[in-house]
Amino acid sequence: MSTQDKVKINKLTTGVPGLDEIVGGGLPEFSFNIIAGAPGSGKTTLAHQFVFANATPERPALYFTVLGESAIKMLRYQQQYTFFDPSMLPGSIRFINLSQVVLEKDLGAVLDQITKEVEKANPAVVVVDSFRTMVRKPESDMDLQSFIQRLALFLASWQATTFLIGEYAEEELRDNPIFTVADGLFWLRQTAERNSIVRKLQIIKLRGQDSVPGLHTFRITDAGVQAFSRTFGLTGHAKNPPTHRRLSFGIAELDKMLGGGVREGDSVLIAGSSGTGKSVLATQFIAEGIRNGEPGIVAVFEERPQAYAERAASLGLDLETPQKDEKLTILYLRPLDLSVDETMHSILDAVQKIGAKRLVIDSLAGFEMALSPGFRADFRESLYRMIFALTGIGVTILSTVEVDESFTEFPFSTYSISFLTDDIIRLRYVSIDGQLRKIMVVIKMRGGNHAKDIREYEITDNGVVILGKRLTNYQALISGIPVRSDRPGSPDEPSMDTGVEHKA
Amino acid sequence: MRDLAHRLIAYEAGGGKPTESMESSTLRVYEKLRQSLGEFVGVAGFQSLASRALTLAKPEAPSLSAARVDLDGTLQGVGKIETQIDMDKDRPSDGEIILIARLLGLLRIFLGEALTLSLLRNSWPGEIFDDRNSENGR
Repeated sequence: MSTQDKVKINKLTTGVPGLDEIVGGGLPEFSFNIIAGAPGSGKTTLAHQFVFANATPERPALYFTVLGESAIKMLRYQQQYTFFDPSMLPGSIRFINLSQVVLEKDLGAVLDQITKEVEKANPAVVVVDSFRTMVRKPESDMDLQSFIQRLALFLASWQATTFLIGEYAEEELRDNPIFTVADGLFWLRQTAERNSIVRKLQIIKLRGQDSVPGLHTFRITDAGVQAFSRTFGLTGHAKNPPTHRRLSFGIAELDKMLGGGVREGDSVLIAGSSGTGKSVLATQFIAEGIRNGEPGIVAVFEERPQAYAERAASLGLDLETPQKDEKLTILYLRPLDLSVDETMHSILDAVQKIGAKRLVIDSLAGFEMALSPGFRADFRESLYRMIFALTGIGVTILSTVEVDESFTEFPFSTYSISFLTDDIIRLRYVSIDGQLRKIMVVIKMRGGNHAKDIREYEITDNGVVILGKRLTNYQALISGIPVRSDRPGSPDEPSMDTGVEHKA
Repeated sequence: MRDLAHRLIAYEAGGGKPTESMESSTLRVYEKLRQSLGEFVGVAGFQSLASRALTLAKPEAPSLSAARVDLDGTLQGVGKIETQIDMDKDRPSDGEIILIARLLGLLRIFLGEALTLSLLRNSWPGEIFDDRNSENGR
């Protein structure tokens, strides 16, 4: 059978930001879906969003309410969401209460009533909320599974896309024959972790479509449910071919140490203890990008954008003008209750909005602290996904990370995330001649030569300035307590490393 | 809401047979509300709303003292009382208007004005809800 002989399944928008991408482009038309989850997990809101996005006067939506939440209260609360358009009721969306039939009759009568209404209205969308509350009467010859099977058969024939909503605990999902009938099974869960609520969505099954597997974070705001795909909506984006362009820090000596600059599309980590100038370097990197016509994003977690811009101004770097010109966005992501994925999405939205080429995350520790405690366990994995997605489209990422200074080891990061980075620049304090001075070394550059030199630097009114030549007359510099040696001065040119991998 | 209630009753009176009394046009308004609202709030849901509306209306309208809402949501005891008290059937009595206004008022409280009017538009023509057709423009 050729491709053109195959039936084309139309995809309907879910009306839920982010969910279309998760379900593989939209919900299959005429599919029979179940939304399951605990009370308060957002099932009804999700169904409403689908209904409001797809109902029309010609092909309306029928929303059957059964037992449970009173319809009038449901509408009272649901209309608070921005997607709720009262003018669509009852012309395009009809709410039909079946509680009397459920209470007084049996499931057969409920099916008859739904059948009658569907045949009368010719709906495009049918929702039964909540089918779980329909209990088989002892004298009835129809159980819930038969009811659902017959309903699914009928509604598919009538070309309706259907949602059944039901309260289910997680353990009930396994081996439940009711779910075998469904084409799509959406599982919503919310758990309290420490002082925050973590909401996650899983497409357990979706026939005929390549949905994104795994648990996706979602949030319920005044716009309704918003889902955050684990792939950050970049699955359909073509990967940028690797370039050999080098991006400058605006610090000639550092560029030289990096073999000409950071490779475009790399992920760079700047590690060092407090006060070593990580943020200063990051700011110089972003400012140099703007000077070169490369828009940038700075995601800050530990200070507000104004303070960040003012600090840059003290180094002679103007971040105000590029912000006004939409060449730079300083994102302050409000702390403490964010999920990793929605933070990542905020960054991605900003990147896509201004076509950013450089991204600074300052700092990873602040980022982690900004997350809801329940999401911190996902931090590394989500960071990996974001870095992979962004560098894949050619964005160069520079992250800063604070490391505890030690005189017995030389750690690159407390997160064990150096595997996520292509390049690592390590800053540290050293005690020399009765002074606490600073040294910098390029630890690794994936796929490129870099200097092996350990260089001393200072933070001046012009930012980071690398001093003199490499320090040759000291040993054990990286210990922080070097020992003076009597070796001659350093050569003019830096000694280059060929890009051998180092382990963090 | 009182003005809207008056317009709905007047519309039903205009569409009714000449021999029908105003009180039956009030009942027609009530029945239309019962049918359309009952569809989405259910029989019990409508019965609760109507009972509440009647309770709120009674102190303002002694003529409703014998009125009651049955379990199926139908209104009983309005016609008899109205006939005794209000012999002028060219206009609805205050009690009738108040009852319908209270019912509409409850809908507005729970659902808001926009959604209430959307639902009513399914049972009555749109021009009734045009403020220019109201007596006092409210």
